[in-house]
Amino acid sequence: MNFSREIRNLLLALLIGFAMVSLSAGYWALVGKDGLLARDDNPRNVEQETRLVRGRLYDRNGTLLVESMLDENGRVQRNYLFPALHSAIGYASLRYGVGGIEAAYDQILRGDDRSSAWQTDLFHIQQQGSDLQLTLDLTVQQALWDGMQGQQGAAIAISVPDGEVLALVSLPTFDPDQLDDQWDVLTADPSNPFFNRALQGQYQPGGEMQTPLMIAALLTNQPLDLPIVDGTAPYPLDDLEITCAVRLPIMSLNLSDGYAFACPRPLVTLSAALGDQQLLEVFDQFSELQTIQLLPTSALSNTATPSSLATLDTPATITYNVLGQGDLTATPLSMAILNTAIINDGNAPTPYLVSAVRPPDSGEWIPIDTIRPPIPITTSSTARQMQDLMRYTVVNGAAQNAGRPNLDIGGHASLAYSGDTTLAWFTGFTTLGGRRGVAIAIVLENSSDVGLAADIGGATLVAAQTVLSLTPP
Amino acid sequence: MNAQEIVALPSARPVNGRGAGWALLLIGGAFMGVTNVSMTLQGDDTSSQWVALLVWCVCAIMGEWWLWYRLPKHDPLMFPLVLVMTGWGLITIHRLLPTFGERQTLWLVVATLTLCVVIALPKLFQWLRNYRYLLLIFGLFLLLGTILFGTNPSGAEGAPQLWLGIGNLYFQPSELLKIILVAFLASYLAEQYSAFRAGNLFSENRRWNISPRILGPMLLMWGLSVIILIWQRDLGTAILFFVLFVTLVYVASGYTILLWAGVLLVLAAGVVAYRLFDVVQLRIDIWLNPWLEADGRAYQIVQSLMAFAAGGTFGEGIGQGYAAYIPVIHSDFIFAAIAEEWGLIGITGVIALLATLVMRGLYTASLQRGRPFQTLLAVGLSLLIGIQSLMIMGGVLKLIPLTGVTLPFFSYGGSSLVMNFIIVGMLLRLSAENG
Repeated sequence: MNFSREIRNLLLALLIGFAMVSLSAGYWALVGKDGLLARDDNPRNVEQETRLVRGRLYDRNGTLLVESMLDENGRVQRNYLFPALHSAIGYASLRYGVGGIEAAYDQILRGDDRSSAWQTDLFHIQQQGSDLQLTLDLTVQQALWDGMQGQQGAAIAISVPDGEVLALVSLPTFDPDQLDDQWDVLTADPSNPFFNRALQGQYQPGGEMQTPLMIAALLTNQPLDLPIVDGTAPYPLDDLEITCAVRLPIMSLNLSDGYAFACPRPLVTLSAALGDQQLLEVFDQFSELQTIQLLPTSALSNTATPSSLATLDTPATITYNVLGQGDLTATPLSMAILNTAIINDGNAPTPYLVSAVRPPDSGEWIPIDTIRPPIPITTSSTARQMQDLMRYTVVNGAAQNAGRPNLDIGGHASLAYSGDTTLAWFTGFTTLGGRRGVAIAIVLENSSDVGLAADIGGATLVAAQTVLSLTPP
Repeated sequence: MNAQEIVALPSARPVNGRGAGWALLLIGGAFMGVTNVSMTLQGDDTSSQWVALLVWCVCAIMGEWWLWYRLPKHDPLMFPLVLVMTGWGLITIHRLLPTFGERQTLWLVVATLTLCVVIALPKLFQWLRNYRYLLLIFGLFLLLGTILFGTNPSGAEGAPQLWLGIGNLYFQPSELLKIILVAFLASYLAEQYSAFRAGNLFSENRRWNISPRILGPMLLMWGLSVIILIWQRDLGTAILFFVLFVTLVYVASGYTILLWAGVLLVLAAGVVAYRLFDVVQLRIDIWLNPWLEADGRAYQIVQSLMAFAAGGTFGEGIGQGYAAYIPVIHSDFIFAAIAEEWGLIGITGVIALLATLVMRGLYTASLQRGRPFQTLLAVGLSLLIGIQSLMIMGGVLKLIPLTGVTLPFFSYGGSSLVMNFIIVGMLLRLSAENG
């Protein structure tokens, strides 16, 4: 007796057991692999992220704005070097993901777009993203940021004729370097610091609606110098009293002066002269401007953006929108775009934020060649007439604080009302000869100080003028 | 008995000559060397790994030389297979937990010396056979000692108290108990098997006619397993003991129905234990659905499965991956660490090495012509390695509920390594003494 049958059966059973273990290992390594690796609680994902070197961000002059540094454990720390750029750039956090520009260009910054990813995997090369050169200018941004300190609101400056966004501020904001510590406080903050007001904030345009109306007036050859009796008087709208941007005695006022001081009555008179059809065209065009996006919505805050499309079915609704207090709302971005058209012969350049990309294994910046068709707003002659009206506003009107000696600055300062609060707007431009220049839009929340808004605008335009005058066209 | 009855296991042909053994050892050494070079090139401090390789080489050369000197007819594959597995485990432990790697290197020396002693001990099997009851009593005293004075090297509260400790030196008696048990059962069953085979499980009127000679020890073993489970909460050892016993009784008696009875008993014990013991309930719940508590009680098994997924086919590479996230990675879950580094290819290698060793062990058993004690001893020792490997590999892969046993030769653990080397030493002696 040598137990051969039993030993053979045992061996068979054990081999079946080993085979089942092999098959099970094969299942988890091949079939169930993707689902397991994609799980949120897979620490490998976090480990890989901590070792991923995101691309750096530079301003238009090559100044380093954001960098990723390796610590002694080989983990990457993202450093945001200038507080002035926090709201413009967004954040990249291991725990909370990405936002703003960091989100919009996440694939490029992570290096996911590079075709050599398999080599990175095979040789365990630390994944490195490409650098981006932004259109933002640190000097202009700093000027705008400094001016906006202590305020809540948004501002944006765009260069003409190229459409480069030179500065972008949204307040209140957050410190991306402190996000892990402050996330709960920030997300609970009712003022929503993650909401990019400059790009998404749907504000009542108030007196800023006068600019597209004046463009329509110029296009239809409306008389600008006819006096309007009691043109400076407040205009009652429900329980609101819409006033000029600055306090003025009751007196007659023509349309040019009415625009200069952002008074409501002359514009209501103008709207009657333009007629409903003309007004609807103005409002349509204004609505279209709100659809232009600088960054994809997914990269911005998840806060719902209200619709800016107006319902213009009654005369009362039309009056509300003429006064900028109706359904039509405006982002600072759209108001800046409108002003770029005024200094660019009626055509607004499509704005953009990133100008070039530099792969990690290359020292050369590769320009991002995207077709950016201009946005037609008005005619060349109308645009030039509008420039003069706005220059007049800075010299004699409510936007006088924007004026700076020896600089060609035009602008418009006005008030808007939103619920119980007042908004102070300034939109304007500076020119550098030809069609070169910079357009700006600023809105201050809970403020009726249009002078301050204009002053911030003027200071920023000075900085932009200085920077651009050093750059050849 | 005639030669026809000796069934040559199809994939376990006799291997002759020293060349194969030395060649396999050379491959194992080269494998470790390449791994060390790779780790060194990655900039890690690998000095202790090079020391481990040196120690491994000395153990391999001395052990192999001693084997050929003492047992010229031994199975030439077993020792090299064991050394390759131990070496692989050693470098994996070094990379995961260098301090444990250094300790394991020392244990390799102790284990190799122990193996050399086992090979050289005169009349070992005669002694084991003659003093089986003394051995069993000794084993039970060890178990009693563990129940009374058991501790855990980690000092963690609630951790199984499966060790006996003197100072900083810890020993897991259940590891030795496994060998004692196999020796006892082999000896007992070698005397009883002819009686089993002469009778029949059913009487003439189709009623159970099971001999107390079978039923008695079967219930005794079942009771011993239950004691281990209740007092020590050591599910793995309890199952291992019982499966081992049932299988050996099957081999001795030839009654397949006993295997099924054993399976039913394990299932019945499992159901009762599920209701009575938290530790069993936890293991079963986690096995059935680990995803509900992936961040809690099932963290270990979920992370283990992720290691297999991360390893894929070719693995993350030497020294790569994040297997260290798995708790007790160096011991029970070293299989998952190897999966992440070496992928499916490495896992297949591990399984092939273990399966080959078990096959050589069973082949050795089949060669013990007319020596039932040696046959059953070889079967039992081979089963110890085979079943324990399947239990932990299956558990780590969620194929079966997780039982806290080590992966033979790969896992960290001094007692486990030394006892497994003793097992191999005995198998080597049996392979050399056949016929």
